[in-house]
Amino acid sequence: MTVRDVYVIGVGITSFTRLEYPLSEIAAYPAMMAMKDAGTRDIDHLYVANMGGGRVNHQTGLASAVVDTLSLTPAGAETIENGPASGGSAVKTGYMAVASGLHDTVMVTGAERMREVNNLEATDFVATLTHPLAEHIYGVTLPSLAAMFTRLYMEKYGVTERHLAMVAVKNQNAALRNEFAHLQQEISIDGILDSPEAMTNNPYVAELLRFFDCCPVSDGGACVILASEEVAGKVDRPLVRLAGVGQASDTHAVHEREDPTDLLAVRRAAAMAFERAGLTPADVDVAELHDAFTILEIVESEECGFFPKGEGHLALERGETALGGKLPINVSGGLKGRGHPVGATGVAQAYEIVHQLRGEAGERQVDGARVGFTCNFGGFGNNVVCLVFKREN
Amino acid sequence: MPVDLEKILRPVDNPMPPFPAKHMKVASGEEMVIRQVTRDEIPSILPHVAPLVWVERDFYDVVAARVYAELLAFYAHRMQDEYVLVAQIDGELCAVVNGRMVNKDVGMSLHTLAMRRGLRIGAHAFAAKMEYHMDILGQKEVLIVAESPIGFRRWMIEYNLEKRFDIAHELGGVPSWALTKELFDRARDTLVVGRRPVPDELLAKAAAAILPPSDPPTPPEDLLAATRARYDPTGTALVLQRWKQEGKV
Amino acid sequence: MPREIYAYKCKKCGHVHYPYRMVCRNCGKNEHNEFEPVPLPKTGKLLTFTTLYSLPPDFEVPSLGLAIVALENGITVTGQHRIDEPETGMAVSVEVEIVRRDGYDEHYGMVFYKA
Ligand SMILES: CC(C)(COP(=O)(O)OP(=O)(O)OC[C@H]1O[C@@H](n2cnc3c(N)ncnc32)[C@H](O)[C@@H]1OP(=O)(O)O)[C@@H](O)C(=O)NCCC(=O)NCCS
Ligand SMILES: [Zn+2]
Repeated sequence: MTVRDVYVIGVGITSFTRLEYPLSEIAAYPAMMAMKDAGTRDIDHLYVANMGGGRVNHQTGLASAVVDTLSLTPAGAETIENGPASGGSAVKTGYMAVASGLHDTVMVTGAERMREVNNLEATDFVATLTHPLAEHIYGVTLPSLAAMFTRLYMEKYGVTERHLAMVAVKNQNAALRNEFAHLQQEISIDGILDSPEAMTNNPYVAELLRFFDCCPVSDGGACVILASEEVAGKVDRPLVRLAGVGQASDTHAVHEREDPTDLLAVRRAAAMAFERAGLTPADVDVAELHDAFTILEIVESEECGFFPKGEGHLALERGETALGGKLPINVSGGLKGRGHPVGATGVAQAYEIVHQLRGEAGERQVDGARVGFTCNFGGFGNNVVCLVFKREN
Repeated sequence: MPVDLEKILRPVDNPMPPFPAKHMKVASGEEMVIRQVTRDEIPSILPHVAPLVWVERDFYDVVAARVYAELLAFYAHRMQDEYVLVAQIDGELCAVVNGRMVNKDVGMSLHTLAMRRGLRIGAHAFAAKMEYHMDILGQKEVLIVAESPIGFRRWMIEYNLEKRFDIAHELGGVPSWALTKELFDRARDTLVVGRRPVPDELLAKAAAAILPPSDPPTPPEDLLAATRARYDPTGTALVLQRWKQEGKV
Repeated sequence: MPREIYAYKCKKCGHVHYPYRMVCRNCGKNEHNEFEPVPLPKTGKLLTFTTLYSLPPDFEVPSLGLAIVALENGITVTGQHRIDEPETGMAVSVEVEIVRRDGYDEHYGMVFYKA
């Protein structure tokens, strides 16, 4: 089958914070920004990524609301729900639509409004993606799965709480250079790990994982517009190609995994995305990984092939993953600093990479970035989407 | 002889030992001082509480309005046995907490208002006020309520407070929760921190002036946005706000 | 009557699954395999654990012990633990108790104790 090349012609985003307007507008606002960016309103189809509209905001069929809000009817539109990987899934679906020749220009917009309810309810809403009978009934939440995973990882590979704190400080402080990021408050290793008050400043959420190891609960939206080569050629923007997509799944219940310290779905999705792009992890200049919990950035950096298994924390120690390092990871702040409106995150990662590859990232620009990578992690690693982007001109 | 009405209206405060100031490092690495303020300092706090009355989120509006009233009442001698603590970083006002002595054994926690977010400053300030009731005033229990879900999580859940639902709290008459000495002792190691004495220079800086908060919570551009988003499903009332964000107006 | 949590043994190849799924992971073709429910063993080894302090709103406790245990027959399961000083690798026993109340519904599940 011939597959057409797919380009990103427009991007948009909202601030990730608490947004006091309706979910459909959180999806529509970045879409308007993206259409302005691309200089076109010629959209054949919309994919709207969202996880909790039905449960948290009592709004279902979001895509129909968004397409109408934007007056883009009669373009086709659908909502895509794939847990916290909804965003990545929607981008991948948009890719398929253009690559297959079904559509020439598609809009992928992701949005979530989780702050309409309080934090406890928001955590509980995300926890509904765990196995209903084998996990959820016990009170299992995502932080608790991440915490149990962290303990195993520490025992096996020598990762310490200090490494986790280093990721937290790196990403939360990186967010200070991102005007759209949720957290705009600097933190220091001293304040969250070493000072006599640190353990109170940074208490356990689930033992071995602390408050500053977790991403905040945010509202937000992000959008990318994907198009065929022919359409992209007419748009006066730096040319960024969505070069590869990959997706893989793993057992629903975390305990069933043969080696519980492996994130096989990440490994497979990344390998697939690289293969499709004809590139390797060594080609990547900038990456956005799914650091909903600090441990995940370390482990994903290994599973995606950037560092050998069990050595991600050493690369972190050497500063290789910071801005200015060999492979800057999450210079946007990541989920930790930018925030994590679940359905929007995968699209926001793509937004950041496109921004970087276009050379428009300002203060947080990774110099000369030509290849970018995203990993959007759904469930606790049971549904993962990876994307590879390449600057073409 | 004329009646001294003021004498009748003005409550007679019971003696309350002062809260010894303490300092701590917050998550940003900055040093924060928590200290008790005197009546004279109230006018320099009020202007920083007032704008929060318009912050229609996290119950900042309700809490700020009540705090304003309580501070004013304290200043004007219209509230009995009240105390006010502030948290400051580099002189900058970060949080205000207040409370009252109901009697020798029972304290009434009034409010916690954080002006800088994301550093658990509110939690530290709340812990200091519990410390004041338990360790300095030597009380047996403190009655507490929460106006906001985040407050509920910080106080009721983190301290595992006991229900005292038969007692109506002074704030709105809602059912009370209580921190007992035993619960406080259990929370002490994990929730109550700080070092004493505060180095002279640090304390002098804090006492010299209560500086305005540098990044206080602010209201959304359209004051009623939150409310309208709830009740106006078409969202048309928000157009103005969106235009503002787009730079159209 | 003591309650049991069941694992599911494939009637074709004997592979034991927990939780239930419709097609065997081991021999599964595109057909709905038949499984025989087998009670999960009552002893095992602690693989990993946590104490969760940020609980879903329906739990009226300040914290909750959660763990993953490798049972005697090699099946791993998630459950709650009530162990004061847990350590990875320690032997645990399993009880089936109420683990969550949801309105009027009571959910039974596995609770691990020090063996
Ligand atoms: C309740 C209150 C005192 C708590 O203060 P606190 O302990 O300092 O709590 P914080 O402000 O640090 O916590 C919330 C902030 O933490 C930050 N945060 C949340 N998750 C985070 C994470 N994973 N990593 C880093 N930062 C995070 C966010 O910035 C969040 O602010 P946001 O809600 O605007 O996004 C304070 O919120 C307040 O004054 N509220 C209004 C009045 C009130 O409700 N008083 C209590 C009445 S009972
Ligand atoms: Zn079988």
